[in-house]
This record gives sequence, C-alpha cells and structure tokens, in this order.
Amino acid sequence: MIEVRELTKRFGRTVAVDGLTFHVKPGRVTGFLGPNGAGKSTTMRVILGLDRPASGEALVSGRRYDRLRHPMRKVGALLDAGAVQGGRTPLGHLGWMARANRIGRDRVVSVIEQVGLAGVARKRIAGFSLGMRQRLGIAAALLGDPAVLLLDEPVNGLDPDGVRWIRELLRGLAAEGRTVLLSSHLMSEMELTADHLVVIGRGRLIADTPMRELTAVRDVFVRSSRAGDLAAALSAAGGTVTAEDGGGLSVRGLDQAEIGDLAARHAIPLHEVTPRGASLEETYMRLTAEGADR
Amino acid sequence: MIDALAAEWLKLRTLRSTSLVLGVVGVVVALMALLAWYAAHLWDGLPPGQRDRLEVSSLPELANWLASLCLAVLGVLAFSGEYGTGMIRTTFTVLPSRGRVLAAKAGVVAVVAFCTGLAAVLATYAAGRLIIGDRPIRGQSAEALSRQMPLFLALSLSIAMFALLGLCLAAITRSAVAAVATLVAVWYVVPIIVNNIPAPWNERIGSILPGALAGQLAGTGNPQSLGGALLSPLAALAVMAAWVAVPYAVAAVLLARRDA
Repeated sequence: MIEVRELTKRFGRTVAVDGLTFHVKPGRVTGFLGPNGAGKSTTMRVILGLDRPASGEALVSGRRYDRLRHPMRKVGALLDAGAVQGGRTPLGHLGWMARANRIGRDRVVSVIEQVGLAGVARKRIAGFSLGMRQRLGIAAALLGDPAVLLLDEPVNGLDPDGVRWIRELLRGLAAEGRTVLLSSHLMSEMELTADHLVVIGRGRLIADTPMRELTAVRDVFVRSSRAGDLAAALSAAGGTVTAEDGGGLSVRGLDQAEIGDLAARHAIPLHEVTPRGASLEETYMRLTAEGADR
Repeated sequence: MIDALAAEWLKLRTLRSTSLVLGVVGVVVALMALLAWYAAHLWDGLPPGQRDRLEVSSLPELANWLASLCLAVLGVLAFSGEYGTGMIRTTFTVLPSRGRVLAAKAGVVAVVAFCTGLAAVLATYAAGRLIIGDRPIRGQSAEALSRQMPLFLALSLSIAMFALLGLCLAAITRSAVAAVATLVAVWYVVPIIVNNIPAPWNERIGSILPGALAGQLAGTGNPQSLGGALLSPLAALAVMAAWVAVPYAVAAVLLARRDA
C-alpha cells in the first residue's frame, strides 16, 4: 500500500507536484501515466524519501520511507537503471545493498539468477547493455523480497522477450498480493500489464480508475449492403447511428448481439459487426489534453 | 550503523579508484626509496669535507605529504563517484538515513587512510634506513623507530584528516573537480601564499594550516616545511579535529536538507 496525500513539491518557482493525492492498493499492478514533466518521477522520488516535499506526505505501508528499518525488505525500487558505478560486478553491486539491509548472500545469487544475469555475475557493469542494466535494477528491487514495488520505466531498453518477462513478473508479483506501481511511456505495454491507472498531468491527478473503464466498449461498427435500411431499423430499435466516411455505420446503444438479431429479423445482410473500444492510447491522449486545458 | 559501515566498506573495496589510489601510494613509497638510493649515491661520491652540505628532506614526511593528497582524493571519490553516476540515489534508497551514510563513509575512509598512511610512512622509513644505512645525511633522522613513532602516528592521523576533508568537500560540492581543486589549494597553494605574507601573520596562520599540524602534534615542529609551529600538541590536535568537524557538520546539514 502506497498513500500519497496532498503532496506538493516545488523546484524553485516550478511546481512539479501540486496537491497530489492517490492510493496504490496491493494485489494489482497500478500504472502511473503522464506526459513528460508531469511529475511522475518526482512523485516516486518523494515516496522513496529522496526529494523533500514542500507539503503533504507519502507513506509506504503506513510509514514514511526514511523511517523504515531495512527499507529494501519492504519496498523495492527501480528509478534509473543507469545509476550504478560501472567498476562493480552485479555480485558487488547487490552485495553491499544486501549487507546494508541484512539480506543473505544466497538471496543475492538467487535474484541474479532470476533476472537472467547469472552468466555475467562476475563481469563489470560498465560493459552492460541498457537491457542488462534494467535487469540488474530489477534484481535490486526484488532483493529484499518486498511487499511494495516501484518501477520507473522498467521496460526501457529491453528486447521483446524482456518486455514480456517483466509483464509476467509484475503480474505474478501483484497476484501474490504485492503492491506494484509501474510507470511507462509505452501505452500498449501498460494496457497489457496494468489493472488500474493513475494518470497525472502538470503535477495534478487527472484520473484514478480501473483499466477496463478506460478501455470499455465505445461503439459497434457495422457494414451492410443495405446500410440505409439497417440504419433505419437500428434507429427504430433505440440505437444511435452515425454513417462513417469510409462506408459503414457506427452504432451506439445496442450491442453486437442485438444488432445481429435485428438484422436477421429484417432479413438485412451483414458484412461486418465489430465492437470497438477506445485504446488506452486514445483515452490517455484525451485525458491529458483535457488535463492540460484545466 | 554496523550495517551501514559494512556496506560502505564493501563499496569502497569494490570501487576501482580505491585500488588505483592505493597503487599510487605504493609508487610514492617506491619513489622515496629511489630518492634514498640517489642521496646515498650522491653522499658516497662527495669528498668527505663537502658531505655536510648535502641535505635531503625527511623521507617519511615527504611520503606523508604526497600520500595525504592521494588519500584526500580517495575521500573525494568515495562521495563524488556516487554523485557523478546518480548512484547516490540508490545509496539513499538502500540506507535512507543520510547522516548514517555520511558517518559510515567517514569511518571507513578514516580507517583506510590512517592505515594506508601509516604503512606508507613506515615502509618509507624502513626503505630509507636500509638504503642510507649509517650515512649521517642531513635531514635524515637516524633515530630508532620507537623515538620516531609519535611523529609517524601524527603523520598518519593528518592523512586521515585530509581524507575526511576530501570526503566532506565532495559531499558539500557534489563534484570531484571542485572538491579536488579546493583540496589542492589547502594542501599546496594556501601554504605558499601564507608563507609570503608579513610576519608574524605568516607563522600564525601557517601554524593552523592542515599540513603543519602533524609536526606540532608530535612536538617536532616543522623544520623543513612552510608551516609554522606555534601550537602545543594538544592545540594542534584540536585544530586538526576542527578541520574535520566543521566541513563534516556543513556536509551533514546540506545532505539532510538537499534533494538527492
């Protein structure tokens, strides 16, 4: 559980986060979305006690992060995969973290294996690709077997296998009852991974809703050789029908089963019946555009 | 605190610049041995009447002077290396108490610097005695190790002071360049300037410069350096402590206040 309450953070005159309040609940993956500069990373840094808020607070498992004893055992975080010193090996890098939080040496070896870096555990990090650094960062986040995870752009630089691996890993962790907060710019990836979304813009909350509400069915697209007759029949049955430019009809207020039954009753041939949902990307664009106007 | 100390020790040990700096200290000791050999060679070549004129700086003190810069740089890198890469944010996520991180880094750096400094000074002393032998070259003390030990311990302590000064400067400036530039100023430039200001202020200020403190602490004065020698051993120790405590306090306050 992460609780962000009335959080405000300024950098000089710029207000990066402006009275932001939201909760991240356990047992699901919460996606954290917003345009560049919306305050996502700042919010994550405040949650981790790295930046001091001007007002408000952020609590993890009911406490401020910097009051946690052995924080890695409660919260795992990946902010910037590049923030490592290249001279160390994965064993050395995770080794000092484990020692600082009283985590056993065997756990270091097992997370290195879990993220697929066992073959390079004794190689210097300086020679690693971005994808390998991301895996190392995820290993660090998982090191203390924490109940809460915060990941800022973890799929950056990963190949398709890696992206899929992260998705399954995060969904698995949430299914175990953990709290997962995930930020990403990749909408399609977010649509597949997150159950719930927190969208912010200019430091303010725009939406805090389940994914399925954002991507719910919007209309049904219908094609027919007797479009005029069909449109009349659908309107008579209470549907809202709009002709589309490329031919075909957009129908609201009736689902595809009702449309099919109606067409059969009037003996109108159907060439296509497609329920259409808004993609997360479309919804996101609409939300952030509205948020920017406010 | 034990966890933080152990973690910082692991970090310092696995940092490549640490072995690099310690390697340079090794080179310094080798250079001192070379200098001893050269002095002995010169002395042997001089006619007996002119041997008196040959004077060579005290090799352990010279080694200490060079090693203090090396370990001050080690102190700088122990902090600035993390600011340069952004790793400092990882460190503060792993160990959220910033005061504890500073204290742990200071503890580890001080012990490493003291031990390295003592080893360098003792190795230089041993090499000097072996190579120069019983040639009575001016500037080279032929006194037994037990008589010299207070000076050697004071020198090692001043190395630890320089290393901590470097660490705190890096924490304050968050930049290796700025911290090393400040250090070199305190270590080399300021003593030269102070030496050129009119008496009695040259000696008054020269006595409290960090490089002049070891000699005053050991009670031997600073016969061969630019520094003054007005302080009692106890006063020298207090000034030494202040050279660490003041930057440390500034660093602690800034670390606690600033965003990482």
